[in-house]
Amino acid sequence: MEADTCKQCAQFFSVPKDADDYEAGKADCVLEKEDEKGKYWLSKPVTENSKRCDSFRLKR
Amino acid sequence: MNQMLSAKVLEYRGKTLDFSPENPAEAKIPADELHEHLQKPSTARTKRLKERCRWKHASAGEFVEKGVRAGIERMRYITEAHKASIGQPEVIRRALGLANVLNKSTLVLQPDECIVGYHAEDPNQFPLYPELSSMGVQDFLMSDYAPQPAEEAAEIHKYWMPYSLQAKCQPYFDPTDLRRMYQFSSMEAPPFVSGYNSIVPPYETVLQDGLLARIKLAESHIADAQKAMSAFPWDGTKGLDYIEKIDNWKAMIIACKAVISWARRQGRLCKIVAEHFETNPKRQAELLEIADICHRVPAEPCKGLKDAFQAKFFTFLICHAIERYASGYAQKEDSLLWPYYKASVIDKSFQPMDHMEVVELVEMERLKVSEHGAGKSRGYREIFPGANDLFILTVGGTNADGSDACTDMTDAILEGAKRIRTPEPSIVFRYSKKNREKTLHWVFECIRDGLGYPSIKNDDIGTNQMLEYSQYSITGNGATNEEAHSWACVLCMSPGVTGRRKTQKTRSEGGGALFPAKILEVALNDGYDWSYADMQLGPNTGGIETLKTFDDVLEAFRKQYRYALQMCLSTKDVSRYFEIRCMQMPFVSAIDDGCMELGMDANALSEQPNGWQNPVTTIVAANSLVAIKKLVFDDKKYTLEQLNDALMANWEGFDEMRADFRKAPKWGNDDPYADEIITSFYEDIIGGEMRKITNYSGGPVLPVGQAVGAYMEVGSRTGPTPDGRFGGEAADDGGISPYMGTDKKGPTAVLRSVAKVQKNQKANLLNQRLSVPIMRSKHGFDIWHSYMNTWFDLNIDHVQFNVVSTEELRAAQREPEKHHDLIVRVSGYSARFVDIPTYGQNTIIARQEQDFGAEDLEFLDVDI
Ligand code: SF4
Repeated sequence: MEADTCKQCAQFFSVPKDADDYEAGKADCVLEKEDEKGKYWLSKPVTENSKRCDSFRLKR
Repeated sequence: MNQMLSAKVLEYRGKTLDFSPENPAEAKIPADELHEHLQKPSTARTKRLKERCRWKHASAGEFVEKGVRAGIERMRYITEAHKASIGQPEVIRRALGLANVLNKSTLVLQPDECIVGYHAEDPNQFPLYPELSSMGVQDFLMSDYAPQPAEEAAEIHKYWMPYSLQAKCQPYFDPTDLRRMYQFSSMEAPPFVSGYNSIVPPYETVLQDGLLARIKLAESHIADAQKAMSAFPWDGTKGLDYIEKIDNWKAMIIACKAVISWARRQGRLCKIVAEHFETNPKRQAELLEIADICHRVPAEPCKGLKDAFQAKFFTFLICHAIERYASGYAQKEDSLLWPYYKASVIDKSFQPMDHMEVVELVEMERLKVSEHGAGKSRGYREIFPGANDLFILTVGGTNADGSDACTDMTDAILEGAKRIRTPEPSIVFRYSKKNREKTLHWVFECIRDGLGYPSIKNDDIGTNQMLEYSQYSITGNGATNEEAHSWACVLCMSPGVTGRRKTQKTRSEGGGALFPAKILEVALNDGYDWSYADMQLGPNTGGIETLKTFDDVLEAFRKQYRYALQMCLSTKDVSRYFEIRCMQMPFVSAIDDGCMELGMDANALSEQPNGWQNPVTTIVAANSLVAIKKLVFDDKKYTLEQLNDALMANWEGFDEMRADFRKAPKWGNDDPYADEIITSFYEDIIGGEMRKITNYSGGPVLPVGQAVGAYMEVGSRTGPTPDGRFGGEAADDGGISPYMGTDKKGPTAVLRSVAKVQKNQKANLLNQRLSVPIMRSKHGFDIWHSYMNTWFDLNIDHVQFNVVSTEELRAAQREPEKHHDLIVRVSGYSARFVDIPTYGQNTIIARQEQDFGAEDLEFLDVDI
């Protein structure tokens, strides 16, 4: 079910077709984090079929 | 409260020298808070970056900041690749392991930064290396810093037990010998157990060629090899060599492609943040520029200074933290960056900027390094109190043609360091009489601000040493006259060549310590360690009753020392043997011209030998020998048995005797009696015995006297010594530094003593503590400059300085929260004083603060 996957997540950014690591359905999951030292961003590879996690935010 | 500068005056050559501060405003600063007034970040951005810096310092083995821990991703992905690549050539498996880590690991981006990249999945974490040392990982699993999920980490650790470097090497040694090494009191544990490593990455090829060109080179080598293999008539004596070469080139290609893709993924993260998260248009533009840079480098050659800083940092992360762990930040940074400085600042042909923008980049690089965490086991965190890891870059010196190598890039590096005030990376300055005065002023400014760096190395000694080692090259292709000028310190002290090839790739070449103070202790006890481990620590060389003459004492020491040397050096070479077979570094190989040309792994190819081992605590042993000779064999005031009784009682009840042994002549006072014995000890035994060893590279191994924090750790494991030291007290803080507080005859007497040791040494650390008022006065530079020229003329290898008052150190002990910017030189590195445990802090306070008297100025021929 698409709703259970990363694909609809606002933090799901498809890998561009001309990228070295392009694969159909592959994306960067980019999350903004914050701790006492401040903000930072994390990027990890996911696919559109990856099961969505607790940080899921629906794409507008 | 005392004001910072006393109104000290001195009569010299008919003049009254007044040591009031060069900057009159400083007269109003209280003496116990000077360091808190010295930072001047060049921009608001670097000030912010420093305020939120995620330091990874450790104190007494514990991380100082909350939340620092080991990450799981590197160990997870290297293991996953190892399981998936069974049956493939080992070097290909290593390349696939690196590629899997780079392709799957989480990337980090932080606000404000312009040099991007990190080596773990969270900015508070650092990676582990289960393929290296199982004990090293076990140590983390048992701690609060264990990677999560802990069960997965434990499983990974178990998986690697039969495959790790430790597992491969251990069977070749007697467990009794290894157990002696694990005590870390007479010998450092072997590299296959510690996992500790060092490297000089050939950054030049990455910046000059780019990785796409390296891939092309490897592809063309493979094509040539395949052609040669198919050429008639087949010659099995040569043709089969191509198999290993082809595998190596293939592994290089896999590694380079993975690094390019990882850097570009980092660029993509910048672009996504710019377009979807960041709202400040200026920062958005900056992030898009960084995204473009990461797309181009390290894939392509660098064109400007931003490119060069970024490509260099990516290369550092791979070589020091991702492909394999290695301590250090070895590079001749000013020479490496100068072409790009010219392009951006002088020619303005690419990434145009002014000098102060370069200073800002330097500050940002320093803060990136300050955030870099290393997965060192507790033992190694303990011997670097106050530090994160050893990060040392080198500047200054001379060019290939012998001319002054100082440039405006050198000045920017020094100015950035002075302004931002971070303990790391430390800086080595190669001192030559050809160095321009403008740069020497920056060197002096850093020193007098109390940073503890630049530490100063003698340019001629380092260059000549590269040529000497070159003669032993097993390939006949050691450093040329020109290349010998390109050296940088591999870690704190030992020179090694930099450049496109011939650089040091593994600590099994040079590095690792052994501890003469403990060795002397057991030499007086038939090899038995009664004071710490309560076990036999060396061979049976006879009890104290068998030592009838001073020569007997020396010979007992020599035998124990030979045993320690044999263990340390043979375990290093066995590590190397298996590093070549199961710990290959295809990325490092790809960026080394020699490995690329020959199709060899970087661990295997040795073109320029650089063998060394670090004797630490030598001066405690040496002063002890002097005291024994004087009081037992010359004056015959005591017998060795009486001395033994006093030592066994930790001098308790032997106060008068201890006072006599403490009063015996000590190193660093230009005392002919002490200096003759100690010079011979250094040259004949410490260096002379070590020199007899030939390592994997075919060259001799020479001593590099440097202490890191081991002088405290090993001091605490060393019993009472005949120099009058109590058991457990810290040992001497550097290779040839006088014992703390015992160099009473002034700074020039220290130089005269140290200059006597010349033979069979690779490097020797000299710690000195200079008077704050004199250094901050208007005469400070002239006095220091004359001191340095005298030091150079005396052919001394090294010197470094603390310029900090006891009042300020004491104030920081009372109220640490007010002294975060107080930096001190520990030994081969600097640290924030408040991050050092009290035991270590007290060793800094106890160092002799050297004042300059008129006779010192006369000896230095200071022209005021
Ligand atoms: S992993 Fe979670 S946060 Fe990331 S894209 Fe998938 S659902 Fe969104």
